[in-house]
Amino acid sequence: MSLDVLFNQFMSGIARGALLFLVASGLSLTFGVLRVLNFSHGSLYMLGAFLCYSIWAHLLLPALGFYLATILSALIMGAAGLLIELFLLRRLYNRGWPEQLLATYALILIITDLVKWRWGGEFLSIPRPKPFTGAIFLFDFPFPAYNLFVIGLGAALAVFLWWLVYRTRLGDIIRAAAHDREMVSALGIPIPWLFTWIFVLGSVIAGLSGAVAAPFGSVALGMDIEIIVECFAVVVIGGMGSLPGTLLGAFVVGQVYSFGIMYKPELALAFIFMVMAIVLIIRPWGIFGRPER
Amino acid sequence: MKRRVSKGGLALFALASVLVAFAQPGLLSAQDTIKLGAIWGFAGPCHMLSESAVKGIKIAVEEINAGGGVLGKKLELIVRDTEMKVDVGAREVKDLILREKVNFLEGPCSSGVALALQVIHSEYKVLRITTMANTEAQVVDKFSPYVVQIVPNTYMEAIAATRYLHKRYPKAKKFCTIAPDYEFGRREEAAFAEEIKRLVPEAEIVYEAWPKPGEKDFTSFITAIMAKKPDAVHSSLFGGDLVAFTKQAAPYGFFEKIPFMALYDLPVLLALGADAPDGVMGFGRGCFFMDPNPKMMEFAEKYRQLHGVYPDSWAVQGYDGVCLLKAAIEKAKSTSTEEVIKAMEGLSLDSLRGKFSIRALDHMGTVPCYQGVIAKDPKYPFKIWKDISRIPGEEVIRSEEGVREVWKKTGVVR
Repeated sequence: MSLDVLFNQFMSGIARGALLFLVASGLSLTFGVLRVLNFSHGSLYMLGAFLCYSIWAHLLLPALGFYLATILSALIMGAAGLLIELFLLRRLYNRGWPEQLLATYALILIITDLVKWRWGGEFLSIPRPKPFTGAIFLFDFPFPAYNLFVIGLGAALAVFLWWLVYRTRLGDIIRAAAHDREMVSALGIPIPWLFTWIFVLGSVIAGLSGAVAAPFGSVALGMDIEIIVECFAVVVIGGMGSLPGTLLGAFVVGQVYSFGIMYKPELALAFIFMVMAIVLIIRPWGIFGRPER
Repeated sequence: MKRRVSKGGLALFALASVLVAFAQPGLLSAQDTIKLGAIWGFAGPCHMLSESAVKGIKIAVEEINAGGGVLGKKLELIVRDTEMKVDVGAREVKDLILREKVNFLEGPCSSGVALALQVIHSEYKVLRITTMANTEAQVVDKFSPYVVQIVPNTYMEAIAATRYLHKRYPKAKKFCTIAPDYEFGRREEAAFAEEIKRLVPEAEIVYEAWPKPGEKDFTSFITAIMAKKPDAVHSSLFGGDLVAFTKQAAPYGFFEKIPFMALYDLPVLLALGADAPDGVMGFGRGCFFMDPNPKMMEFAEKYRQLHGVYPDSWAVQGYDGVCLLKAAIEKAKSTSTEEVIKAMEGLSLDSLRGKFSIRALDHMGTVPCYQGVIAKDPKYPFKIWKDISRIPGEEVIRSEEGVREVWKKTGVVR
C-alpha cells in the first residue's frame, strides 16, 4: 500500500473525526457540568440541519446564504435549548438516571415527529458553499475543500472551548461546579443559571454542527440516531465530560473507522465498538475521564 | 330530572348502536364496495416513498370509481402505517383483514416488513400486490400464492443494470461495489456478481463496501475505492445515502475517473439539483421520464397538476398496482381471492410502463427495468436521463428452472 493512499485514508478519518468532535463536544460539555446524559443532543443536531436548509432556501443568497443560515440556526437552537432547560431538564437534576433518560428520549420522539410534520420525510440537500465547492490538492491528491472547512471549524471549536474552560473565570466556575456543585453553590454562585447557560451553549454547538453537516451529506430523518450512537462511542472512549478526551475519542473513532473500511469494510463499525469495549474494561471512566464519585 | 337524562341517554345509545351497526362491514356496505387495504410505512427513509405510492394509488382509485368502478362496485381505499416496523406492520395487517375485512392489499415499502406481512396475509388467504418492496424472496425463496409482484425484483433489476454497465464499458474487468448493508443491497450485489462473471469471465470484484443504511459520511469509502483503481463501480445506494455519497465523491474527481452506476431515480436527481453528475449511469423502476409514452405522460401531467411535482416510480407502480387488480377482477368476473389469483396468472396489462404480464409460476410481473445516463434537459428544471434503455422483464427474469432450483433448497412445493 503506497504512502499517498494511506495519507488519503488518514485525512478521510480526520474529516470524520472533526464532524464527530463538533457534535460530541456539546454532548460532553453538558454531561461534564450538568451530569445529565442528553440523549436528544443528536435530535438538536438534526433540527439544526433542517433549520439551516429552510433558512438557506429562503434567503437565496448564493455567496453568504449558507453561513448566515448556519449562524441563525445555531442561535435558534440555543433558544430552543433555553426552553428545554427551563421547562424540562431543570426539574430532573435531582431525579435518577432513568427519569433523565426517559425525558431526553421523549424529546427525540417529539423532535422526530416535529421534523416529519414540518419538513416531511424527504431528504434535502444544500450544495457546498463557496469557496469550499471544489477540491484542494494535498500531495497531488485531491481533498474536498469543504472537508478542510469542517476540520478547521472543529479545531476552532476545540480552541474556543479550551480557552473558555481553562482560561476564563467562567471556566474556573464550570470546572469547580463539575467537581463539587454544592461547594460552588455555597460560595454564592447561582448554579441553576450556570446550568442553563451551559445547556444553551451545548445546544448552540448541536445546531451549529447540524448546519455544518447539511452540505456534507444529505439532510434527512434518522440523522439524529446515526450520529448520537457514534458520539457515545467518542465520549465513552475519551472520557465523559473531558474536552481533551472528546478530541482524542473523535480522532480514534475517525481513524479506526477509516482504516477499518479500507482493510475490513464489513467490520468497520464493529471495530469502533470493540475499541470502546476495551476502553470500558481497562478504564471504565474513559481515557481522560475521572471516576464517578 | 334524573330519569329524563337516563331516558335520553338510552335513546342516544340506541341510535348510536344502530349507526354503528350500519357502519359495520358486512351489514350495509360490503356488498357494494371492494376494499383495498394500502399498507405502507410512513417513517424514516420509507416516509416519502410511501406518500408517493399512496398518491398514485388514490389517482387510480378515483379514476376507476369515476368510470363506474369494477364490476359495478366502487373501490374503497383504507391506508395504514407500518412505521417500518415488523410488529406494527403485523398488527395493522391483521386489523385490516379481521376488522376492516379488506378484499385485497397493496404495499408495503420495506422488504423486511414485506416478508413478515406475507406470513400473516397468506394465512388469512388475502392477496397482496407488492409494488415497492422488491426482494426476490417474496416470490421465489418464500413463495406464497397470495403475492403478486410488479416491481422489478432485486435479481431482475441488478441483472438488467449489469448488462447496461457492460454494454457501455465492455472492457471493464476490475470492479468495486458499494451497497447498503441489508437484504436489498446484499441481494442486488449478489446478482451483479453473478451476471458480470457470466458476461466477463475474467471479471474480478476487488473491493466490496457495505456502509450501514443511513450513513452520512462516505469519505473513507470513497478514498478506499479510489485506492483500488477499479475499471467501474456498481452500487445499489439510493435515496439520501446516494445524495450524500454523490456530493462527497464529486470533489475527489471520482465521477470523471471511474464509471459509476447507482439508483439515480427522480427523488435523488431532484435533491441533487445541479450537483447531479452528468454522464453517470443510473437505474430505476419507471418514473415518468424513463418511459415517456403517451399514457405515462398523461398520468404525469395529471399528477403534477394535483401535487405540484412529477411522479416518481413509486407513484407509477402504486397506480399500476390498482389497475392490475381491476383487470384481474374483471377477468375473473368475481372478487373472490382464489378466482382473482387464477385470473392474475398469465394476465397481461397495458400499464403506464408499457405491456407486462404476470408469470403463472411465481406471480412475478415481467415489468421492465430502466437504465440511462444523467444529463440536462431544457424541458425540466432538474436533470433527467439520456440514452435510456428499457429492458423488458422477460429478458432478465430468473428462469423457471432457476426458480424451481431455489424452491428445492427452500422447500417450496408448487
